[in-house]
Amino acid sequence: MAWGGGWGGGGGGMFGSSQSTGLPFGGIPSELQAEANKVLATEPAREKSSLTFHQRPSAKERLALTLPRMLRAYPGWVAGGSLLVIATSLLLQAGPLLTEFAINRGLTLGHRSLAVVYVCGSLYLVLAIVNALLQRVQIDVTGKLASRVMHDLRIRVFTHFQRLSLDFFTEEKAGVLMSRMTSDVENLQQLVQDGISSFAAQGLTMIVITVILFWTNVVLATWTVLLVVPLMFVFTLWFHHASEKGYLLSRDRIANVLADLSESLYGIRVVTANNRQRRNIKNHRHVVGAYRDANLYTGRVNAIYGPATNMIGIFGSALLLGIGGNMVLDHKLSIGALVAFFLYLNRFFSPIQLLVQQYNSLQQGRSSVIRLRELLQTPPSIDESSDAPTLPTIEGRITFEDVSFGYSPDNLVLRDVNLEIAPGESVAFVGPTGAGKSTMAKLANRFYDPTTGRVLLDGIDIRTVSLQSLRSQLGVVPQEAFLFAGSIRTNLSFGRSGLTTKEIEEAIDVVGLRDLIDRLPQGLDTVIHERGQTLSAGERQLLALARAFLARPRVLILDEATSSLDLQSETVIEAALDRLLEGRSAILIAHRLTTAQRADRIVVIDEGAIVEVGTPHELLSHNGAYASMYQAWLASGGRDATRS
Amino acid sequence: MSKVKISGDKYAWLMAVSISTGTSHGLKPMEANPLGGVRSKYPGPRAQISRDRSLTWWRRILPIIASHRLTFITSIVLSFVSLVFQTLVPNMLNHAITGIQTHSTGLHFEVIQIIVVGVLAGVTGIISRQYVYYTAYNVEADLRSLIYEHLTWLSFSFYDRVQSGQLISRANSDIRSVQMYSTFAPLIIVQSSIGILAFGFMLSIDPVLALIAMTIMPAMYFIGIRMRRVLFPISWITQARLAEVATIVDENINGVRVVKSFAQEEAEVNRLADAAERVAWAYVKDAQFRGKWSPWVQNLPQVGLALVLVFGGWMVYDGHLGIGAILAFNAYLLMLQAPFMMLGQLVMMGQRAKASAERIFEVLDESPDIVERPGAFDLENVKGALDFNHVRFEYANGAQILTDFDAHVSAGETVAIVGRTGSGKSTIARLLTRFYDVSDGAVCVDGIDVRDATLESLRANVGVVLDEPFLFSISIAENIAYGKPDATYDAIEAAARAANAHEFIERLPEGYDTVVGERGYTLSGGQRQRIAIARTLLVNPPVLVLDDATSAIDVHVEAGIYEALSTLLARRTTIVIAHRISTIALASRVILIDEGRVVATGTHEELLATTPLYAEVLAQTTREDE
Repeated sequence: MAWGGGWGGGGGGMFGSSQSTGLPFGGIPSELQAEANKVLATEPAREKSSLTFHQRPSAKERLALTLPRMLRAYPGWVAGGSLLVIATSLLLQAGPLLTEFAINRGLTLGHRSLAVVYVCGSLYLVLAIVNALLQRVQIDVTGKLASRVMHDLRIRVFTHFQRLSLDFFTEEKAGVLMSRMTSDVENLQQLVQDGISSFAAQGLTMIVITVILFWTNVVLATWTVLLVVPLMFVFTLWFHHASEKGYLLSRDRIANVLADLSESLYGIRVVTANNRQRRNIKNHRHVVGAYRDANLYTGRVNAIYGPATNMIGIFGSALLLGIGGNMVLDHKLSIGALVAFFLYLNRFFSPIQLLVQQYNSLQQGRSSVIRLRELLQTPPSIDESSDAPTLPTIEGRITFEDVSFGYSPDNLVLRDVNLEIAPGESVAFVGPTGAGKSTMAKLANRFYDPTTGRVLLDGIDIRTVSLQSLRSQLGVVPQEAFLFAGSIRTNLSFGRSGLTTKEIEEAIDVVGLRDLIDRLPQGLDTVIHERGQTLSAGERQLLALARAFLARPRVLILDEATSSLDLQSETVIEAALDRLLEGRSAILIAHRLTTAQRADRIVVIDEGAIVEVGTPHELLSHNGAYASMYQAWLASGGRDATRS
Repeated sequence: MSKVKISGDKYAWLMAVSISTGTSHGLKPMEANPLGGVRSKYPGPRAQISRDRSLTWWRRILPIIASHRLTFITSIVLSFVSLVFQTLVPNMLNHAITGIQTHSTGLHFEVIQIIVVGVLAGVTGIISRQYVYYTAYNVEADLRSLIYEHLTWLSFSFYDRVQSGQLISRANSDIRSVQMYSTFAPLIIVQSSIGILAFGFMLSIDPVLALIAMTIMPAMYFIGIRMRRVLFPISWITQARLAEVATIVDENINGVRVVKSFAQEEAEVNRLADAAERVAWAYVKDAQFRGKWSPWVQNLPQVGLALVLVFGGWMVYDGHLGIGAILAFNAYLLMLQAPFMMLGQLVMMGQRAKASAERIFEVLDESPDIVERPGAFDLENVKGALDFNHVRFEYANGAQILTDFDAHVSAGETVAIVGRTGSGKSTIARLLTRFYDVSDGAVCVDGIDVRDATLESLRANVGVVLDEPFLFSISIAENIAYGKPDATYDAIEAAARAANAHEFIERLPEGYDTVVGERGYTLSGGQRQRIAIARTLLVNPPVLVLDDATSAIDVHVEAGIYEALSTLLARRTTIVIAHRISTIALASRVILIDEGRVVATGTHEELLATTPLYAEVLAQTTREDE
């Protein structure tokens, strides 16, 4: 239902360590700490998960998500839980029967016996206690079941996120995706834990009572069931229809609210710089208002349903009194049976009330299942063929063969590009912004597939091999250096686990971040917050470079990875580039021609096509597009790399 | 051209979509929005939470609920009335049944009586609940608006140390649980007053049996207390662990490129699995604790019923009591059961709400570090002279950035600030716009300390293009007009042209109406930077700071931008933070900073000649040696 808080929850972990950095958030209230520690002390040590990730979903994962399928994985608990639910529902209905027996056999004229009353009463008492014990086991079992099922679901949805391609994340709002993994999953958690079992128990109760009523007196039971049940049924259908729509609507709208909120928070610096606060506040009120309106609609439906069912219950009592009372007067019914009828009628209607409540969570759960199912059925646009082989360790020959590509089919960004990059060769892509340089890089590591043509690595079409084996051999340093919450150390080891401190320190030296690390209070273990906003853009880029360096890819792609560096850092980097590029093929996308000059070959791209290819020297003497670019670069104060 | 519409309402289309589905569901269509979309009639919050931190959490929320007191009180009063009608029914049945043996004429009067009471209970019940939901959802909307509004005004220093994922969590589920408790709790308490009514009726039937039936209630009470002690900590633990999961998901959505580039899907799945495992354990623990106590809460009323049967049966046997009394006691005890179960739930809701409220207050109690002084005035007719008087600055984490930065820029001058990475260049821009305040010294515009000016006028006069060009998922035209939403299309296009963005925008499928994808990632870095520049140019501020704003733009385009700037923005004070010589060359003067101080100032050539550090920073030493 809810996610929140900011506390690592003990036990260390990546975020546990952030506690020590004096974050204002995070904390269990101190008065509860002792009690919480006691609880946490009972937590067993767990092995780290060692799941394997496959780009292709297994046959089981391809089945549409339904609640029964989720539950089917735990037949033992489902069976046990169901049995317990049945047992407790039955036991709970013994009371009125015992009361009827006590009245008819102990308290009516001709059948007076205190012993019968006492036996019935004591039995009732014992059954209540047994029932409590059974319920305890039942809550335990359904709790375990729910937590396992939701654990599976979380991993399944998250794994699917990992399978989906870049375009999906570009098109879908982060807030919406977020709510799939949080509120939708948590809705289901509630449903499986309490909702289903309680729903089943209440439904069962109604059936048991109906049976007992008919067994007690057919005429009176027929009247009750004929008049009350159809009314309830029609009414519930209406409610079902109206509330489902309301919930779907409010779910959509809360997603909008969260999307607006999250965008505003991530863009808060721009909002502030542009004095947009008032306007955004007003806008948010509209979004919140739309959500409120959806809620109000749902509220109106609920407001009618609850009291109206109650009213039907009271009418039922009046009916029983009218018909049953006259039957007793006519000696067609025992007074004990009439009392039992009233007792059951009460119990008939309170489950309906509860069912209504449970029905709401069932509704919410259902719409969550629908949404999650849709998400899980969204295919990745970049996918592996089934049994895609592993790309063997490559030498690094990259071939673009008649490649054309457009983000939308009618707007080609690249047209019939042919290019071969030899193993160990570094090639710089230069050209105006929007020429298609970055797109070439994105095709090389299969963020996108060419519209026509092929991209080959060592002669193998990259679409035929597994994504994991492809991308683990390609290192991309994007322009936007994204850092994760966690220490600098964990960020640097992102691409390869099990790195020694020595290796990390070496990478730090290579990219020239020694000063930064020395300046930070906790050195490598300093925790980065909020995407490293306290670091400069240049420092973030250097960290991203170090991260790529440590991943030791076979092919390195630097996508304007040095754009935010000052000249000094860039010099360090250029010295480092020799180390970085040692024995690897590389694509360097750079607008700084100094970097380009370092490459073995330069490819000039303009308007989606290759205009010129050659060594820096050739191109400069050739007096073509590159030569004029280089002249312009020098004229604008660029460093002349040919002279150093 | 006129097809471009600057609605200013970035979610207008979203709302329009949901409205169109909404109307088909029988929702009232919402009133047309003059801004171009559709909007709800929601007026926004009418009250704030209490600022007094010593108050208990619900007293702090109280003003919000009080602002809806009319509907709130109506709902509670009507709910009580409805309950009174409901409790009348069992007693009517008691009299009818006990009297059955003496009756000879049938039971028409009793039946009609019950039907009338039933109708009254139903009608008042429906009306009261309408108002309950009305209040509840308005309170929720108020809280959501309040927290958003509060967050909007908080300072950069706050966002430096807090994770947005956590804030979103606070602004979402925590609000929900506070709203649930603060609006439904009073109702549940009123509903629980059915217990007092029922007890009253039981006393009137037979005081001794009533007391026996009620013996279970103290036990219920103590179990409730015990449950509360045990469940509160675990609910905190659960919440915290859910937040861990949320953080991982958030990072994987926003950092999807990095994860994919490094083929770390498997590692991330395992990271999530570990976090999910911790959540699962917390949930199991939670169920264990609940299982230990809540069955007793549910079954104690059954124990009460058994007691009524034993003792009531004995009294009936002795002739003290009619058989109808057993029925009535049963009905009343059942009426007690629901409120007591709800009270149990209330305890849990209360725990969660208290925890949630505290987390919300943590946010709402944050006050912006950057506030206007009393008597702050609007900057007017800014000429653009800038003074940094011995500025010292350190971030909240203690990192010393500027030690003694002393620099002066005359009106209309273009100055480049040069320094190594981490030397404090960007900080200068942030101090000028008061994103942060100096730790010591002063920053002045036209001789006026920026802290004496109103924030809005300061930021309207000092425009910054930040190094990270964040775009919103609205159309490009709306992005450019972000700082000036009423700008005309021509003005937007002019700004785009000046930033050299017009051409590529025109080439996009929908031109200026193209909606930028999540975080603007459908555009290249250089394109985003150009839109960010256009955004600032449109505001046309007298002081312009370009903080590494052209780093991803290639040299040709950059030269074009500066050419446009020099004509369009002539006589404007411009500070350029950059490391490209081509960029620096545009400045008439260079300020070289190192270790938080001005090391030297002069023209590019002068500095090259006089200051070795400058050459070093520009990494041109080798060239000069030749």
